[in-house]
Amino acid sequence: MGREVSESCIDSLLTEVVSTYCNRFYANKPELAARRIEAIGYQVGHQLSERYTMERPRFSDHLEAIKFICKDFWFELFKKQIDNLKTNHRGTFVLQDNRFCWLTRMSIDQSPENGTSEELSIMADNKAMQSMHLYFPCGIIRGALSNLGIPCAVSADISNLPACSFVIRIKA
Amino acid sequence: MQFFGGSEISPSPPTPTTTTGNNAHMIYIFNRNGVCLLYREWNRPLHTLNPQQDHKLMFGLLFSLKSLAAKMDPTSADKGNLGVPQLPGQGCSFHSFRTNSYKLSFMETPSGIKFILVTNPRTSDLRETLKYIYNLYVEYVAKNPLYTPGTPIRCELFNTAVDQYVRSI
Repeated sequence: MGREVSESCIDSLLTEVVSTYCNRFYANKPELAARRIEAIGYQVGHQLSERYTMERPRFSDHLEAIKFICKDFWFELFKKQIDNLKTNHRGTFVLQDNRFCWLTRMSIDQSPENGTSEELSIMADNKAMQSMHLYFPCGIIRGALSNLGIPCAVSADISNLPACSFVIRIKA
Repeated sequence: MQFFGGSEISPSPPTPTTTTGNNAHMIYIFNRNGVCLLYREWNRPLHTLNPQQDHKLMFGLLFSLKSLAAKMDPTSADKGNLGVPQLPGQGCSFHSFRTNSYKLSFMETPSGIKFILVTNPRTSDLRETLKYIYNLYVEYVAKNPLYTPGTPIRCELFNTAVDQYVRSI
């Protein structure tokens, strides 16, 4: 569709957004920072879904919309599709991406440095920082789905990097 | 070999080059302020100094060598004073030096990051290798959201990537 932006620029911009919201704007209130980042993602997802569904007919049901997110939408955003989709047919969907591109470069050193209690708290901090980076994509999914008429709640799960799962719960 | 050995032809001390596939001994990465960002060793039988002194010695050695090489450049007319730090990329920069027991290769990036790789003396020119390691640095360290520039590198992905690549030199 014409103009392009460098991928490294986007990656760096997102890194800075998370770091600024967590460390400067809402320094001791991670929940507020998370909500703001998710709200930004919501706006982005809202507008992107408008753009990417321009030439398509309306979706017949929830599953079709989720499949659109998994295939075309994810492909437009990250040049790959979702690797695994699971559902309980009662409004909960789990989207698993085995190599989520915004997480591929994130890594922390696991080797023990000082006493164990300090190392544990450092690792807990790092886990918290990693999960902060996932609020933006959760917001994108939530914004896209709500623009398609499906209100939902989205959360992320990073039990094993670099794969991550997004859990979508559709509000009945 | 011990007393008068010094020519290139004398046999170098036996190094297990093919058993572990490990030609490289150590790698250092410094930033432009002299902070040692990374030090990894794979094959270093002799430690003479404690780590801090070792890093300071290495940084000082390279600083002086670069300065000396730029000052003695016969092709350029304009040379700064000896010891004055030059911008990365200005003046001529040396690539490597070789002794009878090791070869030290050096590369400085425009951002002031210095890569030093110490290998066995029979390795060929390692400039492409160092460029590849710089690429790994950009991907796994500079673009890592959890890394603060200027601090020692603590990224597992970078460490494993470097280990794996160096094993194949």
